[in-house]
Amino acid sequence: MLEAVHLTKRYASLPAVQDLSFSLRPGQVLGCLGPNGSGKSTTVKMLTGLLQPTRGLVQFDGNNIQENLTEYRKLLGYVPEEPNLYPYLTGWEYLELVGTLRGMDRHDLESKINSLLELFSMHQSRHASIGSYSKGMRQRILLIAAVMDNPEIFIFDEPLSGLDVTSALIFKNLVQALGQQGRMVFYCSHVLEVVEKVCTDVLILRKGVVIAQDSVTNIGQLLGQSLESTFLRLVDDVDTMSVARDIVTVMTKAA
Amino acid sequence: MIGEAIDGVIRGLEKRRKRPFWRMVQLFVARIFRGGGESDSEGLDLGVGLVLTLLALPGGFVSILLFEKYGTLLQWMRGATNIDPFASTVPDEYFFITLSMAVTGMVAVWRWEAIFPDRRDYMNLVPLPVSMRTIFLANLVAVLFLVGLVAVDVNAASSILFPLVVGATQSAFLFFLQFAAVHALGVVLSSVFSFFAVFSVLGLGMALLPPRAFKKISPYIRTLVVMYLVTLLCTSFALPDLLHRQPGSAPTWMRLLPSCWFLGLSQLLLGHADRALLSLARYTLPGFGTVMVVAFCVYAAGYRRHFVRIAEMTEGESTERAARQSAVGRWLDRWVLCTPFQRGCFQFVWKTVLRSEAHRLVLAGIGGLGLVLASQALLTALQSEGSWSNALVSRDGLSIPLVLAFFVIVGLRLVFEIPVELRSNWIFRLTLDAEKHECEPLARKVMLEAVLPWVLLISFPVYVWAGGWEIGVLHTLVVVIWSVLLTDAALIRFRKLPFTCSFPLFQQHSIVTLLGCVFGFFMFAVVTPQFESWALAEPLRMIALVPCAAAAWYGPRYVRRTDLDIEKRMIFEEVPTRAVEILQLGE
Repeated sequence: MLEAVHLTKRYASLPAVQDLSFSLRPGQVLGCLGPNGSGKSTTVKMLTGLLQPTRGLVQFDGNNIQENLTEYRKLLGYVPEEPNLYPYLTGWEYLELVGTLRGMDRHDLESKINSLLELFSMHQSRHASIGSYSKGMRQRILLIAAVMDNPEIFIFDEPLSGLDVTSALIFKNLVQALGQQGRMVFYCSHVLEVVEKVCTDVLILRKGVVIAQDSVTNIGQLLGQSLESTFLRLVDDVDTMSVARDIVTVMTKAA
Repeated sequence: MIGEAIDGVIRGLEKRRKRPFWRMVQLFVARIFRGGGESDSEGLDLGVGLVLTLLALPGGFVSILLFEKYGTLLQWMRGATNIDPFASTVPDEYFFITLSMAVTGMVAVWRWEAIFPDRRDYMNLVPLPVSMRTIFLANLVAVLFLVGLVAVDVNAASSILFPLVVGATQSAFLFFLQFAAVHALGVVLSSVFSFFAVFSVLGLGMALLPPRAFKKISPYIRTLVVMYLVTLLCTSFALPDLLHRQPGSAPTWMRLLPSCWFLGLSQLLLGHADRALLSLARYTLPGFGTVMVVAFCVYAAGYRRHFVRIAEMTEGESTERAARQSAVGRWLDRWVLCTPFQRGCFQFVWKTVLRSEAHRLVLAGIGGLGLVLASQALLTALQSEGSWSNALVSRDGLSIPLVLAFFVIVGLRLVFEIPVELRSNWIFRLTLDAEKHECEPLARKVMLEAVLPWVLLISFPVYVWAGGWEIGVLHTLVVVIWSVLLTDAALIRFRKLPFTCSFPLFQQHSIVTLLGCVFGFFMFAVVTPQFESWALAEPLRMIALVPCAAAAWYGPRYVRRTDLDIEKRMIFEEVPTRAVEILQLGE
């Protein structure tokens, strides 16, 4: 089980995340929602060990992940928010690099890369440089890199950005299948419908603090509304309709 | 009244600056300086001010160093009282011309990707109500502005300081003025020529080759251009002397060197050109004009072929390449690269060195310098010994593989520091164990892989042929052992994965490092071959090298042993040491 215990992160004394606690059990797909600046990315970075918490800790099976970060990361598949990849490597070379660094067997690595590239419709472009890839193609390379070593824990930060409809559908089904297989999935997104569809539980952040945490069905039932309405009610005090009307007014105003 | 007029002019300029055309010129100027190409690289982003300062530095430094040559007191102390300033400035004038050509040419090579508008510009500008011709003209104006700025910047310091230094030997102020004007004209014209010559060479490829072929070939052309520019700079050590000894007109090969044309022009304008220089000066204006016309034509053709048709070109074409590992790769994986870290990162390092433009160009520049010094050593050896076999086993001949090995090792060590796509290093942060101290063994293996194959496969048979088995084996052994020791010394306190760590440009120990390199070169490539040529007459003398090797082997190990564990931890960010550290204990 992966646990965040009273996680707090401050950047030069400004709090990004405050006293955040939650747990992620095998088979659970935990969606993390929140507006920009709510601390989602900071939370993800602390869960992956890329960032050390100012206070609190992340535990895996009762052990602080910082004590043996390398072992923990062997169990981790991560898709970051931005597809930052080395543009002069080809897709195949990048995956080979990741697989080698993860200590995968060479033969196993090659066959897995080829099969996954085929399944993600990237086989044709595998020897083109990443610099020439579209955002969706880069995202697919990141997804392959995250799943190819069969990890226990998955952390996805906006994994659908740039993906076409088919790839996005495949991915959504994949996330559900991973949950059914008993993997732990932490899923950060802005797209409420996706979270509602693929996640079993949801965590809503606002200004670095958890404001709601429960199963998707319970949260909806509790407030008697859809996840979108619940989210808007909890997180934003903005009347979205009136903002849209104001935009049209400004747009059409004569100079 | 005057104030109002100035205000009016400023307001007018401000208004003009905000017009669409000039906004676009500003955009292109900023892009040429700050980026371009396919990647959103943040590898080594230097500010405009810093770039201009760095470009201006060499000319300034060299001018200051010339005080020693032209100082009247020092001349008097040397007993040189009646010196002809025109004759004695020819080698320095030639050096300044080659320096300005080399620096400006390298700027053209470095910024080539950013000179032409790219796909990003296409996607941003073409949908706007701006004609293609306006975009073309705005980019052309930006390129001309860049050329003017670089030409003035590179030569500004030398155009003031050099005439000042030389003028101090003369009492007439008119001499200073004339000398300064001619010098400035010569170096600025040679700068502009160099920029457009590089532009023409690359642009011709762009205009004639299919886009995909040009994309593939362009990095190699640029590497060759950098090597040519370094070689051109190195001609300044020998060419003025050769010119001085020419009795008649200049030989044909000299007419092919544009730097000689500009030297001829400046001497002609000073009224002190001999027959050889006069014959060279004749080529300046036709050569300059031709290059300008060619550059403009290839720019227009390149713009039409590449920018206008960007939308028609596919973005991500795949080239079928064998993904299977080569036999050498399998052998390395099995016997040399012991851990997943080394296996993965070894490939990554080589791919970066070979594919990243900045790294390849820096390495080409350093390698070019090494090649020039090595060929100079070979020429000297051939001149003094007569036959190839005697030349190779002479002091200068023995130094050749040592010179090359030194520049390869030091060059690689330098490029390891230059970051590439820092935002992409998260994958290494995520997968590597920072406590394992594997960066140094990895870097050592990369460096030795760049040296040992050619030492064993080329240098060894050549020396066996030239001097027999004994000399061949002993010399190869020396080169190999010295290379291993130099690699060890170069990697003291190296704790980063090459290219993945931020790099502060100026560090406190930069000067010490530079002096260390000069001293290292002296010991490695000057003293060692000198000792070898003496010792090879009586091979037992080679034993004297053992204590030196032992000391060089022990030094880095001692430093490593005394380092704390925290000092060996792999880093991804290098921050300059602060005089005062704030302990944020409150957090």
